[in-house]
Amino acid sequence: MLKTRPYIPYLYCLPAVALLALVFGYPMIRVIDFSTRLVRGSSGPFIGLDNFRNTLDDPTFHDAWTHSLTLLIAVPIMLAISLLVSVLLYEQVRGWRIFRTVLFAPYVLAVPVAAIIASYLFQLHGAVNELFAAVGLDSLAIDWIGSEDYALMTVLIVIVWREVGFGIVLFLARLMSQDTDPLEAATIDGASWWQRLRHVVIPELRPTIEFYVVVSAITMLSSVFGYVFALTHGGPGTSTMVLELYIYNLGEVESAPGMASAVATILLAATTVLIALMFWVRRRATRRDLAESL
Amino acid sequence: MYESGRALSRRRLLQVGGVAATGALLAPELASAAGSGARAGSIKMWWWGEQEAVGIQKWMDDSIAGFKKKTGATVSPTLMDTAQVIPQFTKAAAAGRVPDVQFLFNGIYHMENVWLGYLNPLEGLVSAATIKHGGGTSLSRYTGKSYRTGFYGLAFGIAYNKNHFEKAGLDPDSPPKTWDQFLNACDKLKSKGYTPIGGGVKDGFLGEWWLVNALTQQLDSPADALNLFIGKLDWREPRYHEHWSKLAELYKHTFWNDDVTSLDLGQGFQVFDTQKSSMILQNTAAIPNSQKQLGKNAVGFMKLPRFGTGKMAPHPIVDTQGFGIPAKAKDKKTAAAFIDYMHSKERLQAYWTTSKQIPADDRFDASVINDATIKKIYKDFFAAKQNVYIADLMPSLFWTDAMFVASQKILGGKMDGEKAGQLAYEITTKWKKRNPDSVKSYTTWGKDLKA
Amino acid sequence: MSAGQAVAVRRPRRSPLRAGGLLPHAVLVVAALCALGPLLFMLLTAFKTQKQYLNDVYGLPWPLTLSNFSEAIHGGELYTWLKNSAIYTVGSVLVSTVAAAFCAFAIARMRFRGQSLLLSINVALMVVPPVVMLIPLFAQFSDLGLVGTYRGVIAIYAGLTMPFSIYLLTSFFRTLPGELFDAALVDGASHLRVLRTVVLPLSAPALVTLVVVNSLWVWNELLIALVFLPEDDLKTLMVGLTTVLQGRFSLNVPVLMAGMVLASAPMLLLYFAGQRFFIRGLTAGALKG
Repeated sequence: MLKTRPYIPYLYCLPAVALLALVFGYPMIRVIDFSTRLVRGSSGPFIGLDNFRNTLDDPTFHDAWTHSLTLLIAVPIMLAISLLVSVLLYEQVRGWRIFRTVLFAPYVLAVPVAAIIASYLFQLHGAVNELFAAVGLDSLAIDWIGSEDYALMTVLIVIVWREVGFGIVLFLARLMSQDTDPLEAATIDGASWWQRLRHVVIPELRPTIEFYVVVSAITMLSSVFGYVFALTHGGPGTSTMVLELYIYNLGEVESAPGMASAVATILLAATTVLIALMFWVRRRATRRDLAESL
Repeated sequence: MYESGRALSRRRLLQVGGVAATGALLAPELASAAGSGARAGSIKMWWWGEQEAVGIQKWMDDSIAGFKKKTGATVSPTLMDTAQVIPQFTKAAAAGRVPDVQFLFNGIYHMENVWLGYLNPLEGLVSAATIKHGGGTSLSRYTGKSYRTGFYGLAFGIAYNKNHFEKAGLDPDSPPKTWDQFLNACDKLKSKGYTPIGGGVKDGFLGEWWLVNALTQQLDSPADALNLFIGKLDWREPRYHEHWSKLAELYKHTFWNDDVTSLDLGQGFQVFDTQKSSMILQNTAAIPNSQKQLGKNAVGFMKLPRFGTGKMAPHPIVDTQGFGIPAKAKDKKTAAAFIDYMHSKERLQAYWTTSKQIPADDRFDASVINDATIKKIYKDFFAAKQNVYIADLMPSLFWTDAMFVASQKILGGKMDGEKAGQLAYEITTKWKKRNPDSVKSYTTWGKDLKA
Repeated sequence: MSAGQAVAVRRPRRSPLRAGGLLPHAVLVVAALCALGPLLFMLLTAFKTQKQYLNDVYGLPWPLTLSNFSEAIHGGELYTWLKNSAIYTVGSVLVSTVAAAFCAFAIARMRFRGQSLLLSINVALMVVPPVVMLIPLFAQFSDLGLVGTYRGVIAIYAGLTMPFSIYLLTSFFRTLPGELFDAALVDGASHLRVLRTVVLPLSAPALVTLVVVNSLWVWNELLIALVFLPEDDLKTLMVGLTTVLQGRFSLNVPVLMAGMVLASAPMLLLYFAGQRFFIRGLTAGALKG
């Protein structure tokens, strides 16, 4: 550690900390203040816990929570797909680079672009259903975005489609940066493919997997606005309403910033659970890991 | 000495040189403020309309050019997005960065901005004649002041394909008038293999149009609508959710296109314009475009056939789009002059001659209309005793949580009229509880509506 | 592992995990087709006429139609949005990286009171969803006159990407061997100089990661851009696409797709040209919340 004049470190941290205070600190205090007011413009009269009461009374709030939590299903799905595909890529010598390039490409596409493309592909008479009809799978041709029963699933499919490439590439990078090859040993011992996957690969990747799970869970809870906004606007009915859109609607459409702040406050409280998880994972995925993958 | 000299020369360099360009890039608001100060009579306008009244752009371009020629003042127009034109204005007004002329939908869409103090009363800015004749409508008035003048007018109803009607054995010149006749016509069209009614409800606007066309028939006055929205009348009473039951009835008979829930409003128009459906909920501003697609004499327009018993039922529904002047506009005088110019005799007549639209101004001389279909529409809708567009009174919470949800659920077969009434009641109760201040403003507004 | 030395990515070997046979290849081909399908749909549709599209969704576009592209850029808004997105991205990534580098250097290489608290708060902030701050941030920026300005939005983006930037750089700076610093300081170099001449040159991999992760995030961001940029000439590409283009051309799918091809082109081209940086950057930046 460097010895230095006492004010120097603070000086170095000042710009970053100032920005953090502006963008995170002050707004986080203010959001709690807002949640107790009938906000019009940039303030309003104090109304105690009314905003919270109104929020908890609102069935749409419960829908939004349920759907945001439902989207967490995407996490194990993406984990399974990316583990499987990365292991396959790891073994296939021929063309693995091309596959990797292709599989990762959707992740580079912007969220709204992915969602807009999907809004055409998944229309009742859209390309996906036409494809099913063409190959005689008419029974699979459902009303993807027009039906309450399927719309959330469709949103989930689009999210998985765009995001899964990241997991694939992540696991592949970890597999390839291993120094020793425990797999060789396992093969020599005559273990089957599944046995090797279960007992060798997964334990080996465990820190990365934990890491990926937490990061994906955060994404599902807090970064799916673009998908829903461009694809369904929360409909049909409230079937694809998620927390982010709910807050956006309250604050930006319905002129209820106070209530939006109450929901944001609840979300912030819930986030602490994720923060705890984050610290736990961080301890496990060591710094060495991170530096290595660079 | 040396230091300050260097600083000075650098500053001068900034003023003159290329670095200033970067500065302007990063602070365009400074640049534009300086610009508008130097050149008096240069105003910004945020507008909307080409999306609905296809072709109105030409009229607007001409107006801007004509205004420049007449007064030397420049108008810089920006065409805004449908869903964003009002929310963006509200946000811009909160931040104090507004245009000089702002497009405004009628009623609550701009009235909330009036209540927030974001719009200037037009009295004293725009000429009294323009305020009186200019189609701002009663929904633009609050505590005796006007906040909006009209742009083009539009009537609501159902557009139908005359060829389909003929082929199905229906009289294209005498469309159904009662609900039973309507169901009967749908049946006949369906048996000929046509989809009777087309549309798209994914973005929700179709639900709003249905509510306006159908609910109005059950009301005695606009005040009834206002009282429903603020909870003084009860949505659970059958007459107030009958319109949703009718929508469910049409769904049950499978009279709608099967993809109505996965299309947006605009995509729904295409169903009609490509002859896939025989009828469509529509407004008259879009008729010229449909005529272009289907043929000059192939498009008819009618009121939604009648089932309702309210005093408003016999009359057509007409609304206007319009413009207002923001409270923080930089050049209100030029803005007002431009609004007056848009309502000059020559400009009013040009609505029809350049863009096939009908201006929201009762000084318009309709004899220029040289299209039989539109002439009839003008006579039956615009020149008749008319109803206001009641969705202009709808709070946005009702829009997103009741109207949007109910219409999509009904057209998805997941809700009936009674349940929709229950939902509307719950949302209204919720709104009242959340917005005690808006309830007051609404009540005050209601007084102007009756006056 | 010595500082700054990137791990050479080894070729996957003919693996002992081999499942053998056609199955794995078949799975990969199906996965690749799924990944590419929507992209191809966008690309092919962009070259069709409206009529071709309506008649045959899958057909190859022949003859090629280029007019969709000229129609999509008609009026030049697309350029404005591209320019804006570039300004926000470059501006905020620059600010975020520079400020984070100083802060991370202090945390990793100096000793001061509140050091570990700062780092812990920083990690916690990585998890806080931006939507939590949305409403108060808007009110606050309205009061400061920063709504609808380049610098306002750049500040927000720089702030939102800051926790990750600080975290990544701190971790990385800590892996650099201490002797390097000691030697430099014994020679009488100032901190600033150590940072500039010793630390930064060794940190290229970490900086690449930061730039890739943060650029991609800012470029694709929708929520903040939607709320903080009410004026049309300040819109980003994402806002322009979802609010203007999608609405205007919802009936003319080929033009809409052409617009989206143009909008996606810069990032896709960067990706195909500099894949290595993208993939390495993003996998190393896996902590991005």
